[in-house]
Amino acid sequence: MEREPSAEKRGPAGVTQNEKRLLAVLAGHRDRTAESVAIEMQTATDAVIQWAHLAEENGFTTMIRTVNHTYVLTGEGEIYARSGLPERQLLNSFEGSIDMATLKQHPLSKIAIGWMRKKGWVTIRDGVISRAGSAPEGVDEKALKGSLTEGEGLNDLIRRGLVVDEETAITTMTLTPAGEALVSEGLDLREETGQITHEHLLTGEWEHLNLRRYRIDRLPRRATPGKIHPYQRLINEMRQILLEMGFTEISGELVQSAFWNFDALFQPQDHPAREMQDTFYLAEQTTLPEGYERVKAMHEHGGDTTSSGWGGEWSSRKAEQCVLRTHTTGLSIQYLATHQEPPVRAFCISRVYRREAIDPTHTPEFEQLEGIVMDKEVTFSHLLGFLKEFYLKVGFADVRFRPAYFPYTEPSVEPEVYVDGLGWVEIGGAGIFRQEVTNPWGVRTPVLAWGLGVSRVAMLKLGLKDLRMLYRSDIDWIRDAPVLSADALKSTRR
Amino acid sequence: MTIITLSYTYLEALVGTDKETILDRLPMIGSDIERIEDDHADVEFFPDRPDLFSTEGVARAMKGFLGIETGQVTYEVKPSGISFTIDPRLKEIRPFLGSAVIRGLSLSEEAIQSLMGLQEALHWAVGRGRKKVAIGLHDLDRITPPFRYCATEKSRAFVPLDFTEPMTMEQMLEEHPKGRAYAHLVRDHPLYPLIVDAGDQVCSFPPIINGELTKVTTETKNILLDTTGTDRRAVDVAVKIVCAALAEAGGTIESVTIDGVESPDLAPSVRTVSVEEGNRLLGLSLTAPEMAALLEKMRFGATPEETDRVRVEVPCYRADIMHDWDIFEDVAIGYGYENFDAALPETSTIGEQSQVSVIGGAVREILAGLGYHEVMPFTLTSETVTFDLMQRERSTTALHLLHPITEDQTIVRTDLLPLLFELLQMNRYRELPQRLFCTGDVVEGISTYQKAAVVSCHGAADFSEAYAAADALCRDLGLSYTTAESADPAFIDGRRGDIIVDGSAVGVFGEISPRVILGFELDHPIAAVELDLRAVQAHRDRRDRS
Repeated sequence: MEREPSAEKRGPAGVTQNEKRLLAVLAGHRDRTAESVAIEMQTATDAVIQWAHLAEENGFTTMIRTVNHTYVLTGEGEIYARSGLPERQLLNSFEGSIDMATLKQHPLSKIAIGWMRKKGWVTIRDGVISRAGSAPEGVDEKALKGSLTEGEGLNDLIRRGLVVDEETAITTMTLTPAGEALVSEGLDLREETGQITHEHLLTGEWEHLNLRRYRIDRLPRRATPGKIHPYQRLINEMRQILLEMGFTEISGELVQSAFWNFDALFQPQDHPAREMQDTFYLAEQTTLPEGYERVKAMHEHGGDTTSSGWGGEWSSRKAEQCVLRTHTTGLSIQYLATHQEPPVRAFCISRVYRREAIDPTHTPEFEQLEGIVMDKEVTFSHLLGFLKEFYLKVGFADVRFRPAYFPYTEPSVEPEVYVDGLGWVEIGGAGIFRQEVTNPWGVRTPVLAWGLGVSRVAMLKLGLKDLRMLYRSDIDWIRDAPVLSADALKSTRR
Repeated sequence: MTIITLSYTYLEALVGTDKETILDRLPMIGSDIERIEDDHADVEFFPDRPDLFSTEGVARAMKGFLGIETGQVTYEVKPSGISFTIDPRLKEIRPFLGSAVIRGLSLSEEAIQSLMGLQEALHWAVGRGRKKVAIGLHDLDRITPPFRYCATEKSRAFVPLDFTEPMTMEQMLEEHPKGRAYAHLVRDHPLYPLIVDAGDQVCSFPPIINGELTKVTTETKNILLDTTGTDRRAVDVAVKIVCAALAEAGGTIESVTIDGVESPDLAPSVRTVSVEEGNRLLGLSLTAPEMAALLEKMRFGATPEETDRVRVEVPCYRADIMHDWDIFEDVAIGYGYENFDAALPETSTIGEQSQVSVIGGAVREILAGLGYHEVMPFTLTSETVTFDLMQRERSTTALHLLHPITEDQTIVRTDLLPLLFELLQMNRYRELPQRLFCTGDVVEGISTYQKAAVVSCHGAADFSEAYAAADALCRDLGLSYTTAESADPAFIDGRRGDIIVDGSAVGVFGEISPRVILGFELDHPIAAVELDLRAVQAHRDRRDRS
């Protein structure tokens, strides 16, 4: 459907009150001029033409626009019409040859010498001008003397600014058979009312009004409601899912010590992910939390678990350095450290940082979702259960699992979901926190954990090819994005 | 991530079955098939399993996983009688050495490719770019024991691998591609590490390059292995993994005496694990013999002891087994991830939103209701955008990245308004009016908190619009506020106000200064508001107390 370009309101037949008035005036005539109609309707010619256009679009009138040209001499042209073109006058002022300097005394010489040369009437040599040939009367001179009829001569005069072309258009209009039929059906020419007013309602006048009818075969002008960002909406959907599943939302600092970001997760201090190529380090340092020695022991020899640890010496200095968090798992551990009593279900969807250059599929910051479940009896099998349930609710019905490796979980698993057109897509990672991670904080029951890059899900769900659209959005994309997503209403209850 | 090339003919010969069967099940031991080609597949393995970085290692694992050959492979090590000495001056340079002799090899081109791939992968995953470990393989028949690992003058010359003319070690760091790549590992030392034979012939300049003399080819029958490094444990792991792979390739392993100590030790380590603990972790109900059988499938030696215990012999190449749960993960893989029931626990918990989300949600509802569109700009920005373009003083508490990637992302945002102006700038050819808002984290010092900001850009944007938006935002967030003339240079004097809550300025609103508008390459009036959301909670707390 075509969108209504303006606020012009039209009835269902597409006939406005003004058109109806026009049709009534045209009835019984042929080829009436716009001017005569305008006089009869006591309005401007332009208005009549506009209404006639509308009526023509609706098939009720035909219009013929005839353009007439009138050629009029300019002031200069009138002078030359009387006394001849300047070059003719100058040529007639001498016989045979004449000295250039002398000729330049003539008042018309400035305009005329060039034209004489151009028309081949004279030759110039060594400062002397000589007549060449008979210099017959040209088409421009004929036109100037005559009645300014169209032709090459007239065009020359128009180009020289001696004649102007005054265009006048005459518009004539006639009813089509459809227009005649409409008129013979009878037109309601009572005054139309656009807006029902407070007074109309109070006085009861509304019952007698001839309300203007609106067209519904055109779209209205486009309104753009204020909107939550499509990506935030997706994040909210995921938050909603996790809240429904009994998870408590946590949030925290963007700046973390390497201790919480890496060491507390049993990431060895020489792990490549800790290098400054991959992590945004900051000049700031923090003091280590109480109980850091237990993490140190875990790294060096496995603490009080069956672990052998990484061996070597653990450096407090490395742990004290601040970084922009590379994941939210550090927040989960801090939460567990203060919530050691099962059951705990917690989640977080927050921004994390990786030292990566910006391109269509990488951004140095993005949202990560993380969920943890700490409980007495939870097992690997429950981890898979939570993953299946979560991905199903997010809209991925087919999920499968593959062994994986993450430094802080054991066993570890990589879920894959089936996406039409792409096949099996790896989406996030999961596992059970290693005892090396949980033991230092007095957590004695298993902790299931999983995480995923939300911006990747956004690409799949919002159909984006470029991650940058999320953070440097085209406002028209936000304006056009539907609030209720395509699969928002799909029930996941089996 | 480590990608290993598996040649089909070699892999099929080692495993004893067809490639389709192998590739079909390969992901389920923990791998990601990157590419399938006509004669080989490129497969990614995880960094905790360097024993899978060779075709030989993959074949060993798949024989077990497919049930072709289960249980532990034992590697017999006989003494070779060959000895090695370490120069004490290497202590500060590259102190650790591991070695072994492998005899009776007949290496195909594929086997050599596989070994070179293993070496490279170990250099990265275990060696951390050859720092902790570098590995050299030498044709033993070209050199004469005993060998010396010594610290040498940089002017010592020899012919490096794949070269024909001798060059000095110093030259190699400048001119040889490997020399340039790894020069940083030795350059600062006065002496360089070198391995020579009894006749002072050069085998290797670790961790840079081997000599051409000892190049391993399909003709090579016997190999001398050297692994040098800065980390004892990593050096040992590398020796064990390479020896195990060469044993799978048909060699017999012999030990070398290094300063009186025999290397390598390929004996398994022993862990006795609790079946009950494993079942509790995995959600299975395996018996001890069942668990043992799964571990045998994963190439462990496993013997059920009593009802609840399994004695596990961990092969020397399984450097990843640090904890009992590492064993249980192998039980899970042996059981098959696809065979697990995906169950949900009986426990019920009650979820709750975070305070940040509650307040953020309210901000979004209010501002979307007023007709604004939300945007979610990056939190990384620059001082130019945050302060200079805003006509504001540079803050001393902005958090700087130590190693930014680009000039436009050097600090973490302290305000949201500058980022909204950037978004207006990106959208300057889109239809007006443009009304945008944003709420989210900002950082001051190292503390994270939240702000909300609003901009409205169109021909009639003015102070009144900004004031009305600020008023609506504050009222609907439950903030009772007063206003004061602001001195914020981002706004026009006489058309700017500070939002005062409980005596502190917590926000600003008004008409944006033309200098700021033009600075962001915009050309329409802008009305704006920014609010520190810490005020919301603080105000509530204060009101609740009084």
